[in-house]
Amino acid sequence: MNLRIAGMGWLTPLGRGLDPVWDRLLRGEQASAQKISDLVSDKRYSVFRVPDDALRNLPPHPRLRRASAISRFAAAAGLDALAQAKSTRLRQGYGQASNHQVDMNRMALVFAVSNGGIVYTKRFYHNVVETGAQSASPLLFPETVFNAPASHLAAILGITGISYTLVGDGAVGVLAIKMAADLLHNEALDFCLVVGSEEADWLLCDAYQKWRLLKKKPPIEVFRDPPRGMILSEGAGALLLGREGEVRIDAIDAGGNFSRRLEANDIVQRILHDLADEDACIVASANGTFIDLAEREAIEKELPQATIYTPKPALGESVGASAIWQIIAGAQALRTKRLPPMVNSDPHVSLSLPTTDEISCRAAIVLSCGLNQQVAGLRLRI
Amino acid sequence: MRIFNALDVERARSRVVIVAAGIISPLGFGLTETLASLRANKDCVSPVTKFDVEKCRCKTAGQVPDEPVLSQQRNGRKTKRLHRATHMMIAALKDLFETEPGFKPELTVIGTTSGGMSFGEDYYRALHQRRDLRHSARWIASYPPQKPVIDAHEVLGISAPCQIIANACASGTNAIGHAFECVRSGKYQRVLTGGYDALSELVFVGFDSLQASTPEKCRPFDRDRSGMVLGEGAAVLALENLESARARGATVLGEIIGYGISTDNHHLTQPDPSGSGPRRAMEQALQSANRSAEEVNYINAHGTATAFNDAAEGKAIAKLFGKVPVSSTKSMIGHSLGAAGAIEAVVCLLALQSQVLPPNINFRNPDQDLDLNVVANESREAKIDMVLSNSFGFGGTNASILIQKLAA
Repeated sequence: MNLRIAGMGWLTPLGRGLDPVWDRLLRGEQASAQKISDLVSDKRYSVFRVPDDALRNLPPHPRLRRASAISRFAAAAGLDALAQAKSTRLRQGYGQASNHQVDMNRMALVFAVSNGGIVYTKRFYHNVVETGAQSASPLLFPETVFNAPASHLAAILGITGISYTLVGDGAVGVLAIKMAADLLHNEALDFCLVVGSEEADWLLCDAYQKWRLLKKKPPIEVFRDPPRGMILSEGAGALLLGREGEVRIDAIDAGGNFSRRLEANDIVQRILHDLADEDACIVASANGTFIDLAEREAIEKELPQATIYTPKPALGESVGASAIWQIIAGAQALRTKRLPPMVNSDPHVSLSLPTTDEISCRAAIVLSCGLNQQVAGLRLRI
Repeated sequence: MRIFNALDVERARSRVVIVAAGIISPLGFGLTETLASLRANKDCVSPVTKFDVEKCRCKTAGQVPDEPVLSQQRNGRKTKRLHRATHMMIAALKDLFETEPGFKPELTVIGTTSGGMSFGEDYYRALHQRRDLRHSARWIASYPPQKPVIDAHEVLGISAPCQIIANACASGTNAIGHAFECVRSGKYQRVLTGGYDALSELVFVGFDSLQASTPEKCRPFDRDRSGMVLGEGAAVLALENLESARARGATVLGEIIGYGISTDNHHLTQPDPSGSGPRRAMEQALQSANRSAEEVNYINAHGTATAFNDAAEGKAIAKLFGKVPVSSTKSMIGHSLGAAGAIEAVVCLLALQSQVLPPNINFRNPDQDLDLNVVANESREAKIDMVLSNSFGFGGTNASILIQKLAA
């Protein structure tokens, strides 16, 4: 498998752009939480939001005029990934001069999402519940469809071929990479743009609260037993995958599904066993929930010496975007030979947490255990 | 522009056969009932009973009766908690595995548009009305689109990872098409694929708000067509590398030979009026199979009966295929969204097996702008060796698959 990362785009509650976000993570910064509320309840929840100025220079495309935040996030990350690929290709002299542009007819789009356009979906259905079907908005309804953000992004970029929207839990990003790898088996495609995007809303917070997975306010404390809960966040990540690039995805395990939370441990352990590499650090999906315990147990059994990092205490749980964020963090770690500090982790945990920001790993294992029964993983190498 | 599917012709590719299928739809449960309904030109559209449609223009849909869905399930607390979509997925999968218990998929690719949407509605209504939220944890748990598939996997003891494609109304055909490409590439031996969707108020009201659904009969390709009606159901197909299927003595129902996909960036909900998006998908399916349009004996059209879709699709079909027989079985069962492509693939398989063209019912007057050979109102016998199935969706997604009787 020759699957490489040609470009990356990163939009998070800590801002936009690979280097700015990475620098803030390396400094140990964490996103600031905002309180959100809703008409239907007195409850308030904390979320990590994308700062307003992060979207300031989005192109004024007609498709974005009415689009929901999730589509804007995706557009920002997708455009950034392409821009980064273009500048890298220019800098490194790949191909002919004319090949520095990506041919959109030879590019596929795979969009990873979990909750989709929840803001417009809620607004649309709220009108129905409040005043009846006759007040349903024909403008809002199309934006509630899962593939609306992918459609907008395809229109902005001019993609006319393959566009798939994959739905799943936090592991959907890795499943999207797997799909991209299968698509790129066909040499008719040069690139596959994989985008994970999510928008935060009160309704999601309330839903996760009903599952007792949410924390009222930061910090997110990972690898604690018992787990103390997560904070939802929003944003997008984009990976332009092709056959050229500094970081290679050299193994993908599409994992499986668990019925009960305890079964997640076994699947995570099997994935880790398959991806194990003595020279690898691990970018975990630990977010302050049962996932932490599953990953901790598997890591202790399979790769107890590996250095562990998770970006979720700093960036929050962005569900459909989260695995892409982890992959970006893993790729950045390999490129820069540095890992950010693990903020808010249990100091007594028997895992190898980063003690210094310098690392010597040449591989990074990304584990992605979702909250809704899906688990997958992959390995990056430089 | 280079065309995606046509390019791999020099690479050795596996042949991909369908070794089993399972279906539950308004046409019935299982292949036999479904074929009988197709032969009988059954109109399966009826007044909606699952939610209040008093304030909608459209008041009908193709609905799966509860009895065959629930009779497939074990009794017990957990079963009762499952969403209707899950019950339909379980029924379709049981139907498939009854005929092919030896099928062990390495991957599952399923299309849907709305997962367990009605549980999301229950949750929001309870919140809005400040009602008892005791059941909300189970509503939320069964809402995500992957959940019905994972639950059905658990019931049937399948451990394959799941990819859930949500490409609006093209989801089912996209899922089958991607699964086909996975097996054809040689990377997988066996992939389980299909689609599902259950009726939900939010989606029903949404299409009603767009005035895409009709208060009248659904009349695809008719001069006086006035829109779609929604439907529901689930269908699954077991795809396998031909050599592997032969080696284990599996029965082959048909062979998928081509897949085309295009994205039309004209508008979020309307196709380019020229029909260029559908045409590219159909052309690619043919090129992918290295076949000509003249070889196709039947087209199961997307045929939603909306003015825009049928005009664009009809023009593309007429231009590419001339007078090949065309029908939209959505006239009989409504548009089951994420399930539609999978249900229609099963309909195509049945057409190949029984040599019967499925009907386009409620057809009264040809549209003078569409030069089509519509299989009007009654099924009819014909020699059918190769069929094309179309699905097009919001977001400009167009997908076509080409299926043939297994050639020696």
